[in-house]
Amino acid sequence: MRLSAQGLLRGFTLLLTFGFPELTFAGDAALSEAIYRHGVLPSGAPLVADREGGVRIEGVTGACVNCHRRSGLGMKEGRQTIPPIAGSYLFHPRAGTADDLDLPFVEGMRADRDPYTDATLARAIRDGIGADGKPFSYLMPRYQLGDTEMASLIAYLKQLSPGAVPGVTESVLHFATIITPDADPLKRQGMLDVLEKFFIDKNHYVRAESPRLRSSRRLMFKVNRHWELHVWQLTGAPETWEKQLQAKLAAEPVLAVISGVGGRTWAPVHRFCEAEALPCLFPNVDLPIVSENDFDSLYLSKGVLLEAQLIAHELTTQRDESKVHRVLQVFRAADVGEEAAGALAAALPDERFAVVNRYVPAGANTRELAAAIRKAGGADTLVLWLRPADLAALDPVPPDVASVFMSGRMGGLERSPLPAAWRTVTHMAYPVDLPERRRVRLDYPLGWFRIRQIPVVAQEVQADTYLVCGIVSDTINHMVDTFVRDYLVERVEEMLEHRVITGYYPRLALAPGQRFASKGGYVVHFAGRTGALLIADGDWLVP
Amino acid sequence: MSFRRRMMPIALFGATLLALGPCGAWGGNTTADMSSHEQHKSRPPVTSTVPYVVPDVTLVRDDGRTVSLAEEMNDGRPVILNFIFTSCGSICPLMSGIFAQIQRKLGAEADHIHLMSISIDPEHDTPERLTEYARNFGAGPAWQHYTGTLDASLAAQRAFDVYRGDRMSHPPVTLMRAAPGLPWRRIDGFLTPDELIHEYRQLLAAN
Repeated sequence: MRLSAQGLLRGFTLLLTFGFPELTFAGDAALSEAIYRHGVLPSGAPLVADREGGVRIEGVTGACVNCHRRSGLGMKEGRQTIPPIAGSYLFHPRAGTADDLDLPFVEGMRADRDPYTDATLARAIRDGIGADGKPFSYLMPRYQLGDTEMASLIAYLKQLSPGAVPGVTESVLHFATIITPDADPLKRQGMLDVLEKFFIDKNHYVRAESPRLRSSRRLMFKVNRHWELHVWQLTGAPETWEKQLQAKLAAEPVLAVISGVGGRTWAPVHRFCEAEALPCLFPNVDLPIVSENDFDSLYLSKGVLLEAQLIAHELTTQRDESKVHRVLQVFRAADVGEEAAGALAAALPDERFAVVNRYVPAGANTRELAAAIRKAGGADTLVLWLRPADLAALDPVPPDVASVFMSGRMGGLERSPLPAAWRTVTHMAYPVDLPERRRVRLDYPLGWFRIRQIPVVAQEVQADTYLVCGIVSDTINHMVDTFVRDYLVERVEEMLEHRVITGYYPRLALAPGQRFASKGGYVVHFAGRTGALLIADGDWLVP
Repeated sequence: MSFRRRMMPIALFGATLLALGPCGAWGGNTTADMSSHEQHKSRPPVTSTVPYVVPDVTLVRDDGRTVSLAEEMNDGRPVILNFIFTSCGSICPLMSGIFAQIQRKLGAEADHIHLMSISIDPEHDTPERLTEYARNFGAGPAWQHYTGTLDASLAAQRAFDVYRGDRMSHPPVTLMRAAPGLPWRRIDGFLTPDELIHEYRQLLAAN
């Protein structure tokens, strides 16, 4: 393929302008990827296509990735099965059945068809005529592509073909979990206990002596591979974590990252997953990275950022509009409360709310913290982004404010050690389902912990870790032997909403462009004589 | 002329004659008809007339207003309705593209029809997301998108028999009604914008 230097330059400028994350490909590959994923031609012009009946589509709406997915392995939507278009599925020789092909099984693959050639594939993309000479259905647009652009796209499809996947061997599937140096030691231990027991359970059913199975006539089976867990413990400053992770991945290739636990920042880990195109399922992150255009990092919720939105919703809808409300937020330096406070301040309209953020140094003792809060008198609303130890050490009586909000996620949900007098005035952001509604869904992991004698030291972290183990396990079972990293993410997106055991959450769902599986929460207050009961202020809120 | 177009009148006739339920006509998802579009087994569109009752639910319009679905539908204008979600890759953009074409082809006449698109993924599709989605399809003043609670969206989906257990299984359905109180014309599958406009005009003429 030949492209003018100017064309290349323009393409790159455009890529940079839109901030596409994948600039690791050199020249041509980046340009063909832009056609496939973003509907942008090397000239910078939008990809143009027509559907029957004169429906024209342009740009990202017409990008191949929308239907055929990033893996090129297609999908099922409604009654439509979108076939795989990764090269090996187009160019394989004619065979009797899919079983006769040496290709990983995906729905929509076809064996009994003459192989495409570059010429018939170009005809398919431009004119909607299949290798067999028959027209495609209305779902496949007819693309307007020049010869150079076509060659570029076809080259891209060819390299999409599944090949050897790092972390997958004949007998072992390798996974990692990531722990930052500032992770809470209890949460770390609780998470590792669950992961290790889950892997033991998983391997318990694998008989080493039985032969390796592969997909056959669409029968589902347990793929006979051991699961092996690598614990990637990071050290030192966050700036060095990406390098450490790259070295660990090179030394111990893995198919995916299951869970992890951190402290102040998760951004380097998130960036690592995106840069390596490594599926990463993170149940335990208080402060995830919100970038819905990213692909590989999946979270159960937006964590404290969701809580900030829940509190902002309450304040903007419940407070009378005629006067300016004074909001004081308290958090510790070097904890995620700072970002949460920033998100809440940004979400409150300036003309109605005067927000003051007061942070306490990371090493400050609880007396200094209490003193900072005592100065809240005169504010209408106090917002606490504090951990249980700080909450337990608050003055017995709250300052004279109209109401107090607190982070449930940081403060320990209903087990928060908030002093009794505070419970009468405090509302808690509660980004999980209510205790009585989630009981059955949580009995399952809690029972599993009991039987396996796993001490419950950090219940939310452990239940969420168990949940994500189950999600990965189910997804891998459904992938049969098609171990492709992008396909793993795509299958999680498709399957997640079918899960019944959803732990703390009323429901979970993902989709292309959705990276946070649970999207809402409650605001609750304490009730009962001892303040031990929780009552929701209103319905499940999706801010 | 495409295979699908040639099949269309037969299909419409057949549907009326056999009174196939929309589900039955579109169902039967056996291994043999996993309709890879290459295999060219996509079913021809099927129309039916069904007396759906508009459910008593509250939705949130793309402008952020909380509205009653019944009131939105019963303002006197003919209604053309579909169900979409903004993260949907293949079917929804096609359905929204068809609405956009109908709007464009009808010109000023489109202002007298209420085009309605209800999200089946309301927890993700905030009014802001729907507004952006609508803008991408050039939605004019007579075309509104709706979200709300999950329960409200499900109630609407069930009332119009488009709920199939999850988002990914949603069938491509277009519904139209000439005026409040009249039955709905339901189209399962895809008609071209011109065919839909023809269908709409026939519906108006018949009422």
